[in-house]
Amino acid sequence: MIFRAVEDADLIRQAARGNVESYNLLISRWEKRVYNYLLRITANREDALDLTQDVFLKAYQNLRKLDNPERFAPWLYRIAHNEAYSMFRKRRPEADVDEMEPVGTELGITVGGSSVFPIELSLAVASALERLSPEQREAVVLKIYQGFKFEEMSEILECPVSTVKSRLYTALELLKVELAPIQARGLS
Amino acid sequence: MSCSPFDLRDYFLQELADPQQRRQVESHIAICRTCHEELDRLHMTEAALFTLREEEIPQRIAFVSDKVFEPSPLRRWLAGFWNSSARLGFASAAMLSVALVVFAATRPAPAPAPVPTATATVNTADIEQRVQTAVDKAAQAIEARYDAKTTQLVNAIRQKDLRERRLMTASFDVQSNYLEHRLQGSETALRTLRGGLTQAQLRDAEGEKQ
Repeated sequence: MIFRAVEDADLIRQAARGNVESYNLLISRWEKRVYNYLLRITANREDALDLTQDVFLKAYQNLRKLDNPERFAPWLYRIAHNEAYSMFRKRRPEADVDEMEPVGTELGITVGGSSVFPIELSLAVASALERLSPEQREAVVLKIYQGFKFEEMSEILECPVSTVKSRLYTALELLKVELAPIQARGLS
Repeated sequence: MSCSPFDLRDYFLQELADPQQRRQVESHIAICRTCHEELDRLHMTEAALFTLREEEIPQRIAFVSDKVFEPSPLRRWLAGFWNSSARLGFASAAMLSVALVVFAATRPAPAPAPVPTATATVNTADIEQRVQTAVDKAAQAIEARYDAKTTQLVNAIRQKDLRERRLMTASFDVQSNYLEHRLQGSETALRTLRGGLTQAQLRDAEGEKQ
């Protein structure tokens, strides 16, 4: 008998054949990451949870269209991105989505039970992130928090790598300036 | 503006895939104070960003299979078959079969093959030697592949460890700066309070004299 870890690709193949338990296992591996991605770009816990459920339902319905199971992560985040922007559009159909800001300002309230960081620092970081444009913030979330490569980000955001890099680098410059006083002098 | 041979931000974000390029940047950082400081600033910014922790999902997501809406096993098998790569294989096999049948039906009968006059002598020892050589070669190739893979893994683990250490150091810097600042603020407040107290005491003393 040979033991080996069950890969995501195995679960995807089984789920595509209608195995709901395999899909639930796949969800348990990804739900926290997807929820946190949506929380960072919507800044609202309820919206993030609703969207996460929608994302996994839509992913299940379209799982057979996923040609390469190895590309599951960017494919899933592409769905999440589309669902979030679809919600923004429904809420403010007359406005340009690019100009929209998240409605709530819940980011950073929870620091985490075992966090050793002062809560003011987390709030300052959350505030600095909120001052970025939605595209810049999403680029930071995908790269820094979710660890995607530029190529994958380009796939998720459906834009060239050069645009992804430009958004991310501008965001990092702004964050460096915003967070420098905290790093150098602490919060006043 | 960074004077690094390759974009410092790409290096910081682990987007320089070529090890040669990474080594060049590392050598440059070792001698260039400006780029070293810029990289430190990026690490500090990243450490500050990581003070925002991931949250647990408030409600776990799971789907329940409902037998009423489920397709029958045959339909599921058919759907799985037609949506898989087997469909392509099946179509290819069908086309090949048709081609073979057409070829067999239209091809003229082949002339009888000439009967061989002599039987080739088979040298068993020679064959064994060839097989052994091929096996040795394959074993060497596998060993080399495993060696390369091990080296690659060890390097990746080292890089990850280095990055985590840097991140941890930067996090401690952020915290110590913050705490230092808070301490300074407290000391200033204490000094102000003491100054205020002294002045009040002086005023009281003067009042008593009068």
